[in-house]
Amino acid sequence: MIMLFGLIIVVVLIILPVIVMYNSLISKKNQVINVFGSIDALLKKRYDLIPNLIATVKEYMKYEKDTLTRITEMRAKAVSGQITDDEKVDLDNKISKALGSIMVAVENYPDLKASRNILQLQASFNEVEEQISAARRAYNASVVDYNNAVEMFPTNIMASMMGYKQKNVFEISEAERKNVDAAALFKS
Amino acid sequence: MKTIVDFDKYFNSSLQADLKPIEETRKSILGKVVVLTICLCAALLLLFAVMSQTIANGDVSGIFIFAGLACFAIYGVIYYNITKDYVREFKSKIIQKIVKFVDENLVYEQSKYVTEGEFESSRIFEISCDRYKGDDLISGKLDKTAIKFSEIHAEYKTTTVDSKGRTHTQWHTIFKGLFFIIDFNKNFSGRTVVLPDIAENLFGFLGKALQSMNMKRDQLIKLEDPEFEKEFAVYGTDQIEARYILSSSLMKRIVEFKRKAKRQVYLSFVQSKMYIAISYTENLFEPRVFRTLLEFGPYREYFNQLELAAGVVDDLNLNTRIWSKT
Repeated sequence: MIMLFGLIIVVVLIILPVIVMYNSLISKKNQVINVFGSIDALLKKRYDLIPNLIATVKEYMKYEKDTLTRITEMRAKAVSGQITDDEKVDLDNKISKALGSIMVAVENYPDLKASRNILQLQASFNEVEEQISAARRAYNASVVDYNNAVEMFPTNIMASMMGYKQKNVFEISEAERKNVDAAALFKS
Repeated sequence: MKTIVDFDKYFNSSLQADLKPIEETRKSILGKVVVLTICLCAALLLLFAVMSQTIANGDVSGIFIFAGLACFAIYGVIYYNITKDYVREFKSKIIQKIVKFVDENLVYEQSKYVTEGEFESSRIFEISCDRYKGDDLISGKLDKTAIKFSEIHAEYKTTTVDSKGRTHTQWHTIFKGLFFIIDFNKNFSGRTVVLPDIAENLFGFLGKALQSMNMKRDQLIKLEDPEFEKEFAVYGTDQIEARYILSSSLMKRIVEFKRKAKRQVYLSFVQSKMYIAISYTENLFEPRVFRTLLEFGPYREYFNQLELAAGVVDDLNLNTRIWSKT
């Protein structure tokens, strides 16, 4: 009887940590997926603002017609959903850059600059940019959490059995890391 | 932003004149307070003498402790009544002026305070209050940011029953100090609470694990600023929203603000409002009774406390309104 009881205790002592490790790995992986989904949602929120921006600026802007059509095309491609994750990131970087140049160009049109619409849009863009950057930070934090679990003992044993591999954090692209070149911005 | 040098000039050129009549009031009540204090000492001495005799006779009774406490209570009540008008006069004339000097847009109301409901909706302190009081409400709009703060003291009680069946009530402080409610410059719907980090300071890496197991709080939010993480622990309802609020620059500013305050600082962000609690052990903005009012010393303290409080809007850059909230 005592033997059996002892056996049960030993089994529980082994199984319990395994369950805890297994569940914590799963929850960390899901956290990463969840936050990645939020970034997508926020990017979409930004894409939704683009038609408004184009409609507001297009009457005023004479020299930026090309950029505007390019943004519209890129947006259409981004929301179509038929692109890979890598393409998505690349496209998003291009859109950010083009939007940046439009926002700078706004400064050349005093009427436009003072309009209520554009002020509101600028505020909305700032807001969603800040939210996107928050979501990226959240993503990185959850990836670090996940990677720690994948690499550290004893969860690493469990992780390798489950086939979990390390994930990459978001990195700032080379172009963003450089100091802002104001002269180049004004040229575009 | 005004400096202590400006304030020193203002003190000598304008406040001194206002202080003279109040100084007279102080002198007139000082006599009464001294007599009262002598009475207290005499009563305590007498009590002690009687007590030591009864102890010699082998009969110890809790009644003496009770009588001693009663003496203090009576002293407190009489002291309060003697000084009441003096304190009121000082606050309405002097503190009022110092508040206006620090910022024209601020209004001072000495008997009002941040309400218990507002205090509890900050969710900084998860214990509910049994006794709540406060005074010295200061409010106004500094540029685009509405701000309101006051001194508060929140307490909870515990009752224990001893072996003889008597109940003892004890009061414990939840928070004492300045409590702020500030209109934050970004919109958000959830809740993020920033608390002084005790576990991580004491236990390092293990502290982090302890924090994530804190059942009373929302999810632990691990932020990437190491200095901020060393000082604070953050809990929130939403990982992304918490980072939206706590941008890298705000985290730096909060750390700097805490260093400037040199006190325990608690913050929370609930439904587009920001709450800050700064601990103080002493009562703020109270005039001295036993020493002259005409020395600059205590006014430096009043000024520094007010400057720190009103400066929070600039320190945390809350007038930057580039998001959709205006």
